[in-house]
Amino acid sequence: MEAGRSPNIEILSNADFLGLEGKPGAFTAKVRLRPRYINADKCTACGLCTRYCPRHLVDDYNEGLAITRPIHIDYPQAVPASYFIDPRACLHLQHGTCQICVPVCRSKAIDFGQQPEERALQVGAVIMSPGFGRISEETLAKFGFGKHPDVVTSIEFERLLNPSGPFKGEVRCISDKRHPHRIAFIQCVGSRDLGCDNGYCSSVCCMYAIKEAMVAKEHDPEVEITIYYMDMRTQGKDFDAARRRAEEQFGIKFVRARVADVMPWNDQLRLTYATLSGSHHFEPFDMVVLSVGLEAPKDAKGLASTAGFELNQYDFCKTSTFAPLATTRPGVLVAGAFHGPKDIPESVTQSSAAAGLAAGLLRTQRGQGTVTKSYPAEQNPGEEVRIGVFVCHCGINIGGVVDVPGVAKYAGGMEDVVYYTESLYSCSQDAQEAIKEKIRQHNLNRVVVAACSPRTHEPLFQETLKDAGLNRCLFEMVNIRDQCSWVHANEPEAATAKSRDLVRMAVAKARHIKPLPEQTVPVTPKALVLGGGVAGMTAALNLAEQGFESFLIEKSGQLGGNLLKLDRTLQGDKAADLLKELSAAVKKHKLITVLTNSELAEVNGFVGNFTSMVRTANGKKASEQSISHGVIIIATGGREHVPARVLGKEPVASKKIVTQQALEQQLAGGKAKAPASVVMVQCAGSRGDDLAYCSKVCCNHAVKNALRIKALDPASQVVVLYREMRTYGFAEDLYRQAREQGVIFIPYATDRMPEISAKGSKVRIDFYDPILQDQVTMEPELLALSVGIVPEGTKELSKLLKIPVNADDFYLEAHVKLRPVELPVSGVYVCGLAHSPKPIEETIVQAQAAAAKAAIPLVKGHVEVEPTVSHVDQEICIGCSLCTSLCPYQAIQMVQLENKQRRAQTIVASCKGCGICASHCPTFAISMGGFTDQQISSQIEAFGREENRND
Amino acid sequence: MAKAKQERAGSVMVLGGGVAGIQAALDLTQLGYYVYLVEKSAAIGGAMAQLDKTFPTNDCSL
Amino acid sequence: MTEQTTNPRILGFLCNWCCYAAADAAGVSRYQYPPNLRTIRVMCTGRIDPAFILRGFAQGAAGIFAGG
Repeated sequence: MEAGRSPNIEILSNADFLGLEGKPGAFTAKVRLRPRYINADKCTACGLCTRYCPRHLVDDYNEGLAITRPIHIDYPQAVPASYFIDPRACLHLQHGTCQICVPVCRSKAIDFGQQPEERALQVGAVIMSPGFGRISEETLAKFGFGKHPDVVTSIEFERLLNPSGPFKGEVRCISDKRHPHRIAFIQCVGSRDLGCDNGYCSSVCCMYAIKEAMVAKEHDPEVEITIYYMDMRTQGKDFDAARRRAEEQFGIKFVRARVADVMPWNDQLRLTYATLSGSHHFEPFDMVVLSVGLEAPKDAKGLASTAGFELNQYDFCKTSTFAPLATTRPGVLVAGAFHGPKDIPESVTQSSAAAGLAAGLLRTQRGQGTVTKSYPAEQNPGEEVRIGVFVCHCGINIGGVVDVPGVAKYAGGMEDVVYYTESLYSCSQDAQEAIKEKIRQHNLNRVVVAACSPRTHEPLFQETLKDAGLNRCLFEMVNIRDQCSWVHANEPEAATAKSRDLVRMAVAKARHIKPLPEQTVPVTPKALVLGGGVAGMTAALNLAEQGFESFLIEKSGQLGGNLLKLDRTLQGDKAADLLKELSAAVKKHKLITVLTNSELAEVNGFVGNFTSMVRTANGKKASEQSISHGVIIIATGGREHVPARVLGKEPVASKKIVTQQALEQQLAGGKAKAPASVVMVQCAGSRGDDLAYCSKVCCNHAVKNALRIKALDPASQVVVLYREMRTYGFAEDLYRQAREQGVIFIPYATDRMPEISAKGSKVRIDFYDPILQDQVTMEPELLALSVGIVPEGTKELSKLLKIPVNADDFYLEAHVKLRPVELPVSGVYVCGLAHSPKPIEETIVQAQAAAAKAAIPLVKGHVEVEPTVSHVDQEICIGCSLCTSLCPYQAIQMVQLENKQRRAQTIVASCKGCGICASHCPTFAISMGGFTDQQISSQIEAFGREENRND
Repeated sequence: MAKAKQERAGSVMVLGGGVAGIQAALDLTQLGYYVYLVEKSAAIGGAMAQLDKTFPTNDCSL
Repeated sequence: MTEQTTNPRILGFLCNWCCYAAADAAGVSRYQYPPNLRTIRVMCTGRIDPAFILRGFAQGAAGIFAGG
């Protein structure tokens, strides 16, 4: 959690938002900080206070399935890593007694004198990301929740599956702690349900239900799991594949049915459900999981009135399709589930987008509020190695198990160790001062700290070294807490011996560590945007608003992409309006150079320093120009698929068979006429024909065209044959509206596909209606196919840029959840249909997010490189290029030296420090900063030198 | 950590410290702005801190 | 490690991003495991040169653990 370490983020937790005044660029926000009763600067998160606290409190973090104490921390990795006292249950705060925690706390952090504090914050913009609320217990009670303990919510089940959860990751019935043999998931609890006023689809439940079912199966392969659903809405990127895996590999059963109720039955639960054909069934289960939806946050109304923006009918934030993250109050943006139910990658994408929009808004203020630290000049460590070893007690966390004074003394006896000491809390502020003092006093040039994990605390000590004028790489950390005293709590002698060994190995390595230069690479502050559709134009505009130049490369003769083929969005916004607005703004902006009829011919370089050749066709002639830029945004888009197979057969050719896009064009304009009868066929080409994946937008597209037909002529007959209607989110309302207006939706199964045939000028479709339970034949005036979306030219471009694509030829992002718009090659970003099929609103957000991410290196002006990168000794290198082919990040290139020899060279800006190159180099020419062969070998040798265990 | 000045141009308030708020805050600092991350409860993390694995890859969540 | 008489020494190479992190998490959860492992943190298990493994055995390791 980097947020806790940034000097430019001030975390105000335990805080209430009181008011917002002013205008964009100059708001004053009022917040009140409730007291924690614990001084966060002094608290070391040792946990002693929780052990002594006599009161019990239901643990909200574990969904009430476990017990904690009023004085506690929510979870071990919490940020801020400080405990707090819940005033609702504390004996002292409620009754003025107890105070046992005060003497127990060794760092004297407990302060019952703390008072609430009000602060006025001067901010230029506000991002609202309050998350989502919980479905009311009243709705859950319809399924026996609250009446029977073994009916749990999916969030509770998530905690049961978690190793840090109430049963340490074992799934047990709450009632009698037995392992359940049969588990049922009920979908759409509190979603798609007008009974609780949540008409929308929560968009995430199908995915987490499958995930939880699969994880439960991993825990216990014997358990039988059935998921009861209306439509499985796994429309996201690669989601359908996971759903198939759940069914085929994990044997999870999916049953399309509505669950009527859940009743106790002996020591089990009995589910009553009705299938499509209307028949009723009963099934016993040990545990029932309710897949609860996402609601607007509980205090949404209060928040909206305090901050002065409007909500939609479901109390989520009110926004529009073409400006998805703007609230109704200028300068106030929204991100995450408060915008509408959504999953993690979409939330993360929105956050980046909102950050980019705020950055554009406050361009003139950039850098005025940020803090940068300065350090003394770095000293030359000299030839003589002088090591200082600091061994930490961590209160009793280490000292209670390991003989800390003994370990420190043992370290003192090692070669080149000139100073050793122990400290109570080596991470405390005064300990940092002490380390600096000892570095000066004893002229130390290597520091070894034996304490907790370098993953959390190395940056802190490295900072101290920098403050003392030492290179931060002259530091080595030994983990004798997380990986020693905590895991060998009952074996103090063995833990002490292990600590000695680990310290000895670290000192052996420290003798060979060298200062490493802080490397930076300058950045050309310009962007290359590939694709002039809505994604590309939005990205270029956002970059321009942030003050960065970009080149917008469009293959065709005009800007617009798929917008040119669309009439209206599902919500009724006119595509032409957006197109006009965007293309006018793009053409007008001084910082955007538009190159139409152009294609990327060649790319060289790396993040910050790309050089590209762009070929522009001019009539029959073509010209090429070289462009220097720092980042690349790929927005090359996609197009309507031309299926080679439809519903498992060769496509039938007929003038009466059209695609949804063609139908939309027919229905556009004031003079359009509705056909008397239309049959729409969903997934015609997608999900199993020649495309394996779901194209996400087709169901919305069908609903949109159906509503348009009904608006033109209410008497027109519209039938939609579908597998699962994936009108997720607020689109569910329009699906319902279509049904209310008489559009007939009939599901079909993949083992009984509809059959299309054409005879003369007539087109005919035969299908099985599961409600009538009979075969039906229709001869509609028009047959519309939802054919899906394919990416445009990703295969060619992926080779040019060395970027991987997934099995469906969409670009593969750097991290599916947490870095959804970044690609594995540094400095290259993706948005729009090239990433995956998605509606306009999501494309706009993703383009804004890609622009925000791309702006980061441009703002900085340089790319910082961790010193732990690889380095090629070109004297030893034989130019075999094994390393260049092995590097997963394309971070090693072959260069030609002056003497014409080919040698490997690290592109430091792209190197991630994995060391694959170093371990495979046949001539040992490659070394890794901080992890050289010599350093690791000396650790291994020190491991073997298990000397004098007799102290 | 430096305490914020009362008058601070170039700063943004992010309300809500879940995964969305944290991501917005981190991106804003990297884009050159100071961030006040305001969270109602005692620790940031939101709902994601309760998750172990995520769909469809079943990766660890943090 | 059921026999009390044997006390093998195991050398582990732990990837900073996954296995080392998991070992930290084990500590946070106070899982108890036998104290026979000595670890070396690397940035990726790709860093492990086969020579490191041989050298570990030469230095008396009863087993080498590569965690990534």
